[in-house]
Amino acid sequence: MLLCITDLRKTYTRGTVHVPVLHGVTFDVADGEYISIVGRSGSGKSTLLNLIGGLDTPTGGNILVGGSDLARMTRQGLALHRRHTVGIVFQSWNLLPSRTAIENVTIALAFGNVPRRDRGRRAAELLSSVGLEHRLSHRPAELSGGEAQRVAIARALANRPRVLLADEPTGNLDSATSDGIIELLRRLNREQGLTVVMITHDEPAAREVSTRMLRLHDGRIVDEIRPAQGGS
Amino acid sequence: MIFGDLFHLALENLWRTKLRSVLTTLGVVIGVGMLVSMISFATGIQRNVTESFKANDLFTTMEVVGRGAEPGSALSEVVQGSKDERVIDDAVLDSVRALPGVELAYPEVRFPATVRLGGKEARTTIQGVPLALGRYRPFDEFRYGRFFTSEDERAAVVSERLLSELGVRLADEEASGKWRRSPPEGTAVVPADSILGRDIEIVVPVLDGSRLAQGFLTGRFDAPFREEVTRLAVVGIRTEQGGFEMGSFASGVAIPEGTARSIPHFEFSNVWQALDATRGAAGYPALNVRVRTADDLGPTRDAVEAMGCNVVALADQLEEFKRSFLIIDALLGAIGVVALVIAGLGIVNTMVTSILERTREIGVMKAVGGSEGDIMRIFFVEAGAIGAAGGVFGVILGWSVTRLGNVVVNHYLRPEGFPPEDLFDMPPWLVAGAIGFSIVVTLIAGSYPALRAARVDPVTALRHE
Repeated sequence: MLLCITDLRKTYTRGTVHVPVLHGVTFDVADGEYISIVGRSGSGKSTLLNLIGGLDTPTGGNILVGGSDLARMTRQGLALHRRHTVGIVFQSWNLLPSRTAIENVTIALAFGNVPRRDRGRRAAELLSSVGLEHRLSHRPAELSGGEAQRVAIARALANRPRVLLADEPTGNLDSATSDGIIELLRRLNREQGLTVVMITHDEPAAREVSTRMLRLHDGRIVDEIRPAQGGS
Repeated sequence: MIFGDLFHLALENLWRTKLRSVLTTLGVVIGVGMLVSMISFATGIQRNVTESFKANDLFTTMEVVGRGAEPGSALSEVVQGSKDERVIDDAVLDSVRALPGVELAYPEVRFPATVRLGGKEARTTIQGVPLALGRYRPFDEFRYGRFFTSEDERAAVVSERLLSELGVRLADEEASGKWRRSPPEGTAVVPADSILGRDIEIVVPVLDGSRLAQGFLTGRFDAPFREEVTRLAVVGIRTEQGGFEMGSFASGVAIPEGTARSIPHFEFSNVWQALDATRGAAGYPALNVRVRTADDLGPTRDAVEAMGCNVVALADQLEEFKRSFLIIDALLGAIGVVALVIAGLGIVNTMVTSILERTREIGVMKAVGGSEGDIMRIFFVEAGAIGAAGGVFGVILGWSVTRLGNVVVNHYLRPEGFPPEDLFDMPPWLVAGAIGFSIVVTLIAGSYPALRAARVDPVTALRHE
């Protein structure tokens, strides 16, 4: 298994107030799978994704990625995990507004210690692979929502991650554009064997592309669905 | 992330907030500029004093005086009673000349006089100098004329400054622009050749026995002196070549030692020397001694003191000067450092504000793989870039201030006939040190913001609006 999550718990503490968000989540993800996690707002989906992405640390349980336990990693180890093992796509793209599309990708390559002479070519290839070869020098403000999300996907793929984590990647897009993004993710999953863990509200789309769909409710996985038509 | 990337990122970030970056850097520029100009001033004074010591051979010259013959010792003798004395006579002179480190020793012959030229007169000091002194500065080179050729030549070397007091300026020197102020009314601007060969009159007062006797008879002693006039040909003119000169040769008239002895004169120039002279001890007021190297000064001094004489060496004063310079350096440097520290606080303020504005950006960089070390280094390099730019431009500002200082000071010095002075010194260590210090201060100032940026929680940062 590429990803083994066991009894994962997360409680936020502010002063004397403790807010439990995840109550012992357990599931595995095999290499090349397309997992969708669905659930209502506040069910703990984004928290789960942040923990898998190494952006946050769990209160209890284990997250094994390729055999390494994130719960035991130092902050430097988590940075390396974010740099090389996972690529993260956010609902609001989180592009650097002062940089062009290609610069948003090259900054990830710079953190990945890719030699400077290779970065431009590789970033251009990545942007071409998501259909943005004509938008390399545009800043985020000059791009449509769908284009900005494609730049974010290209950036997430910059350092050849094993898992792509997508947190509501279509949440800010119209349905036609959403379809395009979902199709892009499915293509990456099917053609390149990229493992995708996606959080979404869009259950029909999730059923269409996922190999498995997990339903999260109040911090627990309450349902696991294997769509008949989903997956490869 | 390699340094080139960090540097590129830092410059981009600074460029995005141009006005703020420029204002912050300006604070550093002013701090460094202050530091540089102040230390430059302190080191410049130190250099000038040391060089003038060297130029005037003060590291290799000393004066030997009799023990009990220090200025005013006659008064202390009256108060404290007599004490052992050592008179500087020919025996002492021969003993001093025989010392291994001594290159030249000659008795002091100096007296005040009035000098007349072309109907004008000026008070000055007449210095009798031995022929051997022609090998040394300032008598080894002459722009106009020459040194003496014999010990009893009826000749004089006059200083340009004395000529000015006598209403004469040299045409070539005037044309060089060194005298900013126009010559006073009645001053003649003439070629040096018209002065060389002309006679000057050296006028000294001497006691007139017949007038003194007349005074006893009449009870009036208002004029017991008469004027003794000696005519000497001007054979050389000394001009000031730059740097301030010390010692008795800077102004006045130098004449051959033998000629000086032939002119009747009082052996004193002030009331203390006059009182000392009344004791009637035969001998010279002092000996001028020149040693071969600066290292010979100490052993020679010890040997001379062992003879029972006292030694006055201006080189001793240099150590005192150096101690004073250290204090001045420290004080002036401290003012500059305070200015730089204030600039450092400006950097802290600017960068903390910048972190607040860039919280989301920091979150994004962490999400795509930036480590805490990377984030910290980005902010460090930004602070360092401010420090480097502030250091470089601060040095330029400091240098400009020193040039301006020189212009202002020389504007007032030159009309008075003083040669141009460079009051400041900017050695390479000061330039490199100022830039380095600026970078260190800004890195220290940037360490807190950098640490704070590195510790930003990525989840919180990504939600930050």
